[in-house]
Amino acid sequence: MTPPIPKSRTPFYRNVRFISWSFQLVVFAVVAAFVYWLFGNYQRNTASSGIPTNFTFLGSPASFDIPGADFEPTESVRNAYVIGVLNTLRVSIVGIILATILGILIGIGRLSKNWLVRKLSTIYVEVLRNLPLLVIITFTFLGVVLQVLPRIEDSWTPLGIMVVSNRGIGVPWYSGTSGLSLIVVFFVGVIGWWLLARWRHLVADRTGQPARAFWFGGVFFLAALVVGWIVLGGRIILPMVDGKRIAGGIRVDPSYFAVLIALVIYTASHIAEIVRGSIQAVPVGQGEAASALALSGFQRMWNVVLPQAMRIAIPPLGNQYLNLIKNSSLGAGFAYFELTQVTQVTVGNGSPAVPAFTLALTFYVVLSLITSAFVNVANRRFKLVER
Amino acid sequence: MKSIKLLAVFAALMLVLAACTSASETTTTAAGGGEQGSLLDTVKARGTLNCGTRDAFPGFALLTDTGEHVGFDSDFCRAIAAAVLGDATKVKHVDLETADRFTALQSGQIDVLVRNTTWTAGRDGNEGATFLTVNYYDGQGMMVAADSGYTSINDMDGVIICVAKGTTTEGNAAAEAARLGLDWEVRPFDDTDLIQQAFLAGSCDGWSSDSSQLTGLRSVYPDGPESLVILPEVFSKEPLAPAVLDGDSAWAQAVNWAILATIQAEEWGITSANVDSFLSSDDSNIRKFLGGTFTDSDGNETTLDPGLGLPTDFAYQVIKQVGNYGEIFERNLAPLGLERGVNALWNDGGLMYAPPYR
Repeated sequence: MTPPIPKSRTPFYRNVRFISWSFQLVVFAVVAAFVYWLFGNYQRNTASSGIPTNFTFLGSPASFDIPGADFEPTESVRNAYVIGVLNTLRVSIVGIILATILGILIGIGRLSKNWLVRKLSTIYVEVLRNLPLLVIITFTFLGVVLQVLPRIEDSWTPLGIMVVSNRGIGVPWYSGTSGLSLIVVFFVGVIGWWLLARWRHLVADRTGQPARAFWFGGVFFLAALVVGWIVLGGRIILPMVDGKRIAGGIRVDPSYFAVLIALVIYTASHIAEIVRGSIQAVPVGQGEAASALALSGFQRMWNVVLPQAMRIAIPPLGNQYLNLIKNSSLGAGFAYFELTQVTQVTVGNGSPAVPAFTLALTFYVVLSLITSAFVNVANRRFKLVER
Repeated sequence: MKSIKLLAVFAALMLVLAACTSASETTTTAAGGGEQGSLLDTVKARGTLNCGTRDAFPGFALLTDTGEHVGFDSDFCRAIAAAVLGDATKVKHVDLETADRFTALQSGQIDVLVRNTTWTAGRDGNEGATFLTVNYYDGQGMMVAADSGYTSINDMDGVIICVAKGTTTEGNAAAEAARLGLDWEVRPFDDTDLIQQAFLAGSCDGWSSDSSQLTGLRSVYPDGPESLVILPEVFSKEPLAPAVLDGDSAWAQAVNWAILATIQAEEWGITSANVDSFLSSDDSNIRKFLGGTFTDSDGNETTLDPGLGLPTDFAYQVIKQVGNYGEIFERNLAPLGLERGVNALWNDGGLMYAPPYR
């Protein structure tokens, strides 16, 4: 007979769950009290010196101008913020796309069998990722945009369709058609793309020829857009020098250009390392199997290795995208009207600093969270399905 | 068990931290002014004046290669220190970016802001600042390249204007362009070095700022001052005044009278060189001003203490150690080619006027 297990209960204060919960509660309470105290201090001090802490300044007129935007100084601070957010998105989205392309190319270059390509890629990565971004932007603005690009009086006009000067780069842009008719053309293009892709897949199944559905469909789509738009009476507006400025077409702001180039070449150096690591993480057998199937070097990389490498690369790439979005705030020093610049200028012109910067902070957090959400969705979508 | 111990240690740390921070609460609010006491006492106890200024602005506040702050604003920092502490060298010059200056004042990082700051209603109200006697009456102007052919801002249509950020400059330029029906693209930069580079590279047509600033910037332009022209129009009122935090009238009065003393001294012709001879002046008002003795109605020898919380000889210290308004102007601004203009004394056709010291 085994002796009966003593029935004495463990006292509650020795219960692991109680102890861990109570300590977490204490820590939470301390942190909450600390934050509450800080906030109380802020409210007391701002009240004693009569500084407004609410957001009514958003409705008052901005009283400053935003170059390159359809904005009047009489419009509200709120509208200025909207333009700031849009400009942040403009440099971030274009920057992310270009940095990804450049980063993948250089990442592949790091593993190239060609000695020159390999070394040049290595030098690029090692130099760029070891420089502070602010130094790079200062260089692209002072060195490249101001010094390399010509003055407006002697601007370059390559092929007569562009104007390049240190006051901006004029690019041809369309005008004329808009609205419903263009949407119809767009849908004709999309449907044509889809039908062509279906047809190419059928052909591929029947004959064994490569489908190339993306190329066939894409070319048709573009052709449909161009033809439809010409038929609807659209025209190209060429940029030209108008006195001291560039008129017509779309003007790429010199500050935007400097910030974009700096963000792209800096972030690409980090992306290149991620891509290189991810390619090396793909089992060697995959590449060897592709070679055994007599795929060309490009096909091996594009169809076999890279898709598997990008699956590994997605989470760290997301971090780089977040960095790029946040780093775009450095454009504020160089007359680029992104979110931080708008906040600083509106504070300089009389908006209260703490609420104004709180708003900017919130925008950045929201932008980052949205980007993270996109990256997570992509990650889940491309993750290796394990059964 | 290990994690529980860790948690306990962490919680204890947090408690200690909270205790420390609440202990420091009393000191910070005291420094913030208000009920707990004036900054005047804090500054006297500390023995140094934290003066918000800048470091790269010729004429007004420039940090030299030898680590000295020279300039008009820097001298007024010294004048305040001489008045409050009796020693013009007891100044800590805090270099501030334009966008940070009011935050530095609000947070108590600086005691007084003497940094080319325009007195506006919005700043008086929204920034929690109290502006004191204007020490320089300025106005926004426009500088262009000499070979640009512009002779008036009315010629400038469809141009790019570069300005420094964080000031009222963007707003003034936008308002002036709207008033004249001109199309100006105003581009704000973080600092004047970037604007200078952009200007040299020909990507700006105009450089707009307070006229005094433009004069200073022109004097150190790499291509030489003669390659730039400041257009005649002045299109805003920019009264530059020192500022202190709202709600501390004792400190505000002390700083104010340090500035007024320089103006009063110039009116009486008292300079740093001859101030000692005025100590025995026949004019009892001058002796009162300098902290000398005079005979009151009861026939006693006494000194005048108007109750500003300053030493009775504060004006003497200011003039002896820093100089009167005219001296400060001549020393710092005249070499840039700035004229007294509206900044002359009231009896000389200007706006500089000090209330009577009695």
